[in-house]
Amino acid sequence: MIYLATVVILAFLPIFVKSPYTYHILILTFVYITATSSLRTLAISGQVSMGHAAFMSIGAYTSAVLARYVGWSPWLTMPLGALATMLVAVLVGFPFSRVRTIYFSMVSLFFGIGILSINSIFGKYTGHINGMIGIPPLFIGSRIPYYFFFLALMVVCLIVLWRFETCRIGVCLKAIDQSREVAASIGISETKFRVLAMGVSCFVVGLVGAGYAHYNMVISYSSFNLSASINMLVYMLIGGIVSFAGPIIGTAVLFMIPEIFRQLKEYTPFLFAGILILVVFVMPQGVVGLFDQIRSLVNKKE
Amino acid sequence: MLLETVKLTKYFGGLAAVSDVDINVEEGEMVGIIGPNGAGKTTLFNLITGFLRPTKGRVEFGEKDIVGQKPHVIARMGIGRTFQLNPLFADFTVFQNVAASFYLHPKSSLLAAFFNLPTYHRNEAYVSVEALKILELLGLNKVKDELAKNLPQGYQKMLGIARALATNPKLLLLDEPLGGMSVGEIEFTMEIIKKIRDSGVTILLVEHNMQIMDIVDRVFVINFGRKIATGTIEELRENREVIAAYFGVEQDAASS
Repeated sequence: MIYLATVVILAFLPIFVKSPYTYHILILTFVYITATSSLRTLAISGQVSMGHAAFMSIGAYTSAVLARYVGWSPWLTMPLGALATMLVAVLVGFPFSRVRTIYFSMVSLFFGIGILSINSIFGKYTGHINGMIGIPPLFIGSRIPYYFFFLALMVVCLIVLWRFETCRIGVCLKAIDQSREVAASIGISETKFRVLAMGVSCFVVGLVGAGYAHYNMVISYSSFNLSASINMLVYMLIGGIVSFAGPIIGTAVLFMIPEIFRQLKEYTPFLFAGILILVVFVMPQGVVGLFDQIRSLVNKKE
Repeated sequence: MLLETVKLTKYFGGLAAVSDVDINVEEGEMVGIIGPNGAGKTTLFNLITGFLRPTKGRVEFGEKDIVGQKPHVIARMGIGRTFQLNPLFADFTVFQNVAASFYLHPKSSLLAAFFNLPTYHRNEAYVSVEALKILELLGLNKVKDELAKNLPQGYQKMLGIARALATNPKLLLLDEPLGGMSVGEIEFTMEIIKKIRDSGVTILLVEHNMQIMDIVDRVFVINFGRKIATGTIEELRENREVIAAYFGVEQDAASS
């Protein structure tokens, strides 16, 4: 219900809000909510990816290069970018699914660094360190169509990820997280489900990355480097790792904070670090957990 | 012969955890494996179910060599098992633990699950009905909404059996099903195990508690990774090697 209400409010927002800057921030929020939620798809089986921004970059660069140098329509190249991301994810998913927890984080970290190096090898096309410019846009002119596009994209992706998590597939992934041995003893193939989760998660993040490229029209490494990956991780941790709403609320909250303290922009990492420490100590279940804590307090009083 | 191991051997480094073990289980039988701590009983289970790869030897299930198959494939062939430690999904409820185990033989594809198709609904409905039946049989329906990790150990063990049973196995391997249970629970569990056998499931079990030996058909005795004896429990009572392994060699008897 709350989700539906939020979406309806967001859909009617353009009647009231006219500032293009607000739209810019909201669009980026939608992009990162989608990306962070895709991180959760891996997290439910206990895998914490530290290279998700790199997967995002595969979608972004694939789509950008195809649209700019081959001249295909962005509407075609975006799904292709997502498919390319998924393909890479499934290929690396087989070896990656053999490592777990911190080891998975490490291989995904190095994978991310590797992907960025590959980008720089093709610097002629990807624009070296300065970034790639002249990416064809999806819409000409106003930000409003982008706003609706990314809102719709986010809603569709979230529904897909929600289904994925709540149906049998999600149950199997959570089972693998709790005990690989017991999961195997009831016939759950760890490799199959982990690779499947990688594929779906990376398809979503690649798709949204591609969309981002055609919105921003300029992409550079700095959007997809390690700190971008870690930011996504922080969004998820702060929002709360235990529920589907966690990454959504965490991203929304943390996107708003730097905007409120805009003058202190260079101190944002410190702010994030402070919030993260606070969250770990005060609300170990994340912001979502805070709601539950309040609810149980209220119930106690009654 | 439903299950047969032929010269099954497993080395950990230079140590032979299991060496040249031949055991066999006929369809419909209930067979026990006994032996002191560290005799290699759990290793043997892990070899049969594919969690460990034997150094040499064969495991035949239904006349087919299953060595080298992944554990989840072996589970699908019809070998269910319980675990001595960590026997369940700790953060699932009791019901979810059993329901998840039904996914071994799903009546709907993953795509149907994702798209919420009618076949998926039917399967889910079927699973809840069947899961409740198993919980009822094992006396777990009172705690079906508890998180598995909050259960007392006896219940956890029972849930392990419920989970294995939900995979609808032809052969059920029980690893110390009575471990950590109270006297009352032990009697109840033995009743349950008998019922499971009577419903047509072949059972191979490892147990320290000698009470269970009253209900098994045959016993294999293992010590230091070797099979030292086999037979009915009456035959084994007379076997000196078995007595020595279990109670130590009597100095007088040995010297005389």
